[in-house]
Amino acid sequence: MNRIIVDNNLRSWLKELAEKYTLVAPVTSDGVTLFKHVKGSQVDSLDLQYSNTAVSPKGCFFPLSETMFSIGSDGVNVIAPVSTDREVVIFGIHPCDAAGIALIDRVFLAEPTDTHYKEKRDRTILIGLACNAPSPECFCPSVGGGPANPMYLDILLTQTSAGYIVQATTGKGKELTPAARMEEKDIPLPPPPHVTPVPLEGVSEMMRRNFDSPYWDRVADRCLHCNICSYVCPCCYCFDIRDYMGKDKIDRVRSWESCQSAGFTMIAGGHDPRPTKGARLRQRWYHKLLYFPELFGDIKCTGCGRCVRSCPVNIDIREIITDVQKLNV
Amino acid sequence: MVMQLSAKQSLHLPRIAELIRVEKLSDREKVFEFKFDDGKELGQMPGQFVEISIFGVGEAPISVTSSPTHRGSFELAVRATGSLTNKLHTLEKGAKVGIRGPFGNGFPIQTLKGKDILFVAGGIGLFPLRSLINYVLDNRKDFGEVNTLFGCRSPQERLFIGQLQEWNTCKDMCFLETVDRCSDDSWTGNVGVITTLFPKVSFDPAKTYAIVVGPPIMYRFVIAECLKKGLAEDHIIMSLERRMKCGVGKCGHCQINGLYCCQEGPVFTYAQVKSLKEAV
Repeated sequence: MNRIIVDNNLRSWLKELAEKYTLVAPVTSDGVTLFKHVKGSQVDSLDLQYSNTAVSPKGCFFPLSETMFSIGSDGVNVIAPVSTDREVVIFGIHPCDAAGIALIDRVFLAEPTDTHYKEKRDRTILIGLACNAPSPECFCPSVGGGPANPMYLDILLTQTSAGYIVQATTGKGKELTPAARMEEKDIPLPPPPHVTPVPLEGVSEMMRRNFDSPYWDRVADRCLHCNICSYVCPCCYCFDIRDYMGKDKIDRVRSWESCQSAGFTMIAGGHDPRPTKGARLRQRWYHKLLYFPELFGDIKCTGCGRCVRSCPVNIDIREIITDVQKLNV
Repeated sequence: MVMQLSAKQSLHLPRIAELIRVEKLSDREKVFEFKFDDGKELGQMPGQFVEISIFGVGEAPISVTSSPTHRGSFELAVRATGSLTNKLHTLEKGAKVGIRGPFGNGFPIQTLKGKDILFVAGGIGLFPLRSLINYVLDNRKDFGEVNTLFGCRSPQERLFIGQLQEWNTCKDMCFLETVDRCSDDSWTGNVGVITTLFPKVSFDPAKTYAIVVGPPIMYRFVIAECLKKGLAEDHIIMSLERRMKCGVGKCGHCQINGLYCCQEGPVFTYAQVKSLKEAV
């Protein structure tokens, strides 16, 4: 037996949530789907069949740009950012994006804890939607996930012909589940949609052996260092910190940055330990497929396919994984 | 409901410090002495660094040059080379800055206790090393024989000249100095790159740790010399320079392969560095 919520009830529940919480959901406009703050009145028009948002929802916790604090013009007085304690519900997040947040957690919630990230993470509830329209570039099962993986979510909804099956996996999720709007039905979880696998077996070992291969310079040759791969990635988290002068205060701002930027590692005096495009591209793939797994046991990729879709010169992580397996030492 | 986050909650918020002394070291370098407004100590260990803020310009990682045995204030010695360090060079006594840290692992004091030490500093590599040299001199009985080698490009680029004078006459360690080149007769000391000082010192490689800090090019030659003298790879200790933007192991700028130089470094043994790609 599974607990089912029909579409009408789901939408009235979401409207209720929009009253009490800040509701964030995928909104499609001009063919582009993005996570946005939605009002109750927008709930009826939400498209729940979307494939993948153009940008991952990591920005809900680690914004594209955020003022961490400001300093008064006296240069001493600290002005804390105005924040809200209103809880946030992210609705409609796919399992791959929840996995991306869990990967960033490993770094930002590790000691010393990133206070700005944790504060947002603590007051957010994730209601996931099993993905029923994976893109041709997707490969989540190859990196330990799956279109209907309930891990890393508070609640997972899976669409069936009779309504959505509701699985609450955390205490937070169980508390939020709308008991009165659901009914028990003998409807099984549908089989997840097919996703083309990528052969990841032994990739870390092959990377360990091929650091000095000319392959990396060859792939990077066409890279424009536009950084889009890092920006759309649900688990890339490099950042920059800069000061911006306001009229009567100075803002210290943290923004997304990418290890693909020229000068990312340059030190005072001009020495750069990672001076070439090849070395920078290699660092990104090595961090994802070797260094992060060595530290945390998991590949730092969720198989969402965004970098593949976004890269203007068709650098494709699936191709790299396949090529690395064939490199000669 | 809107709330004011306590500013103390930000991991990135610096403590305010006042510049209490500035001293010119050479054409491009100055030493700055700071004191925290709240009267607290920095609490650093030799080899650690801080992130210094000049609000409106930004933040930069700078190693602490004073020894923790010096209480009440701390010193940063800085070459004017980027936007922040150039601005810092214009500051005068009484200016306020922000300080985060100390960060990093620092030199392995416990390992060095009771051992002989060979300090090798090249150019402004003296800045981080000075903290440890003064710490060792202030706790002299805890350490064995101490040899210190210092090299810079020309007599005009010598730093902390008063301190070098003291070390030169101090009976607690053997101090040797050289300059790469000298075109006039203002300098009567050694001329030649720092490795030319190695034949002039004697040490027992089994009991000695070499602490080497200098520009990337110097490491290659000095390490080769240390190995030739019979030092084990894990007895050669070095401090690496990276773009430590956040200092707290998150932002990614200082990563060497998978490790964060700001947290697990900047001090490494040659044995560690050897197995790290792109480290030197």
